[in-house]
Amino acid sequence: MENPGKSLLHLTQIEEKAQEILSDREEIVALDKQRNQNREAIRAVQRLDNSTAWITVGPLLVKMPIKKVSNILNNDQVRLDVEVNKLRSDLKVKVNALRDLEHTSPVPGLMLNPLSKAEMNAVGQALGRSSE
Amino acid sequence: MASIAAAKVAEVRETTRVERVGAHSHIRGLGLDDSLEPRVVSQGMVGQLTARRAAGVVLEMIKEGKIAGRAILLAGQPGTGKTAIAMGMAQALGADTPFTSMAGSEIYSLEMSKTEALTQAIRKSIGVRIKEETEIIEGEVVEVQVDRPATGVGTKVGKLTLKTTEMETIYDLGGKMIECIMKEKVQAGDVITIDKATGKISKLGRSFTRARDYDATGPQTRFVQCPEGELQKRKEVVHTVSLHEVDVINSRTHGFLALFSGDTGEIKSEVREQINAKVAEWREEGKAEIVPGVLFIDEVHMLDIECFSFLNRALENEMAPVVIMATNRGITRIRGTNYVSPHGIPIDLLDRMNIVATKPYEEKELKEILKIRCEEEDCEMAEDALTVLTRIAGETSLRYAIQLITTAGLVSRKRKSNEVQMEDIKRVYSLFLDENRSMQFLKEYQDEFMFNDMGDSNDAMEVTDG
Repeated sequence: MENPGKSLLHLTQIEEKAQEILSDREEIVALDKQRNQNREAIRAVQRLDNSTAWITVGPLLVKMPIKKVSNILNNDQVRLDVEVNKLRSDLKVKVNALRDLEHTSPVPGLMLNPLSKAEMNAVGQALGRSSE
Repeated sequence: MASIAAAKVAEVRETTRVERVGAHSHIRGLGLDDSLEPRVVSQGMVGQLTARRAAGVVLEMIKEGKIAGRAILLAGQPGTGKTAIAMGMAQALGADTPFTSMAGSEIYSLEMSKTEALTQAIRKSIGVRIKEETEIIEGEVVEVQVDRPATGVGTKVGKLTLKTTEMETIYDLGGKMIECIMKEKVQAGDVITIDKATGKISKLGRSFTRARDYDATGPQTRFVQCPEGELQKRKEVVHTVSLHEVDVINSRTHGFLALFSGDTGEIKSEVREQINAKVAEWREEGKAEIVPGVLFIDEVHMLDIECFSFLNRALENEMAPVVIMATNRGITRIRGTNYVSPHGIPIDLLDRMNIVATKPYEEKELKEILKIRCEEEDCEMAEDALTVLTRIAGETSLRYAIQLITTAGLVSRKRKSNEVQMEDIKRVYSLFLDENRSMQFLKEYQDEFMFNDMGDSNDAMEVTDG
């Protein structure tokens, strides 16, 4: 290419964006893993007969009343859900930005809002699905 | 629409049914390089460099959505590749852009008015892009455990262990889910998805790692990879449906068979207005995008003045598709009037069109096309036979020569040769008449044919002249 500095900058931008996307993907997986473990914990606490339960807070192992424990866990679950959803929405923007850097057209329909269940049911018939 | 067609093609291939070879089945695209320069022979296209380049420019404009509501006219003599260029554009547009192809004479039906047929064709060429979003849990089943109560009655409880390549987790199951699992016969080693909203379980197949669990497996067992990444996924699918398909669904009175029988009859304008309103609402909410497609009308001179004025109006609609028309007529009468106009199209409509002309093929190009057709029809041909065939194509017509390929192939197979020789060409040339020879034959023997009134009409002409 005629301008090595410019090309290098361009390639660096692409690599950076791609790396961001990849690490986001990994983060989603890690968060989902946490989310599933948390969910298992919530179930386990629900089944417990004791009035107290052991819980790790960082490096500490503490005994807490069961109500408080389930509160902490439920709050955690909500926070995890929010984080995963936020990452997923950002990912779409990043993918389109990467495609823009690579001079390809954006993914068609990526930024659309989804149809509701009832609407999808109606349109689904046009796609050859039987209505259920 | 196009994606449905593509699915059908795949289906045909799968069942190894014999596919029929159509006249333009060798066209794969427009044969342009990245800078829109036409290659001489590429993707089944030969010659017509300027016309192809023009079509390529139009294509780019369509892709960028800049040309909606305008029309292109492909004009040229018969057999100069007008339909081929339209087919090439359809192929190059890809499956996502709706492409409707019709012939001008298709609109004359007793069951449907002309404007209805045109409206349906136009609405078939406008796509609506929508998104479906579902939250699913996807993983390989590690273990299913169902505890039955000792008494035999009461609610069942159970556990389902699912894993991906990254994680593993246990779900507690209620009675409903256990029933589902029993019904689907889910067992360890199956890869399943669970729709979070409805709880519907579907089996994707068996995991590869469990392929050796049993010695005998049915042929319908499908092996899949263990899913990667997170267990709880968000699945987003983008669909493109044509406005016409949505119209049909909403106008039907009974059963969803209307979509498949093809005979939809007339669709009330209220239905269309409702659909338009709904789509507009979805666009406002960011739920839908309009994909203007392409409507190709072959033999457009067969339309009459009413259709032309309807098209004139329809092109001004904000959701109008790109209309590509093809005609092989010169300056001729507009159908339904006594006025004469170029291509048989009213001047006011002609004014809205970009006109692309196709030129007759040169001998070298004819040879290339015949060569491509030979390949397409699985017919090997000797070099001298091809030269003769090229001469025939030059003197009669390209279509006639292409038809000779198949017949000559059959004749050569009959004498147990797998290559078509000169003699085969000669034989089929004598068996099947071309246009000119047929005309000559008729001129010689017209008196012996039935209803021969050529002489009478000559007399009549003389009478009117006199």
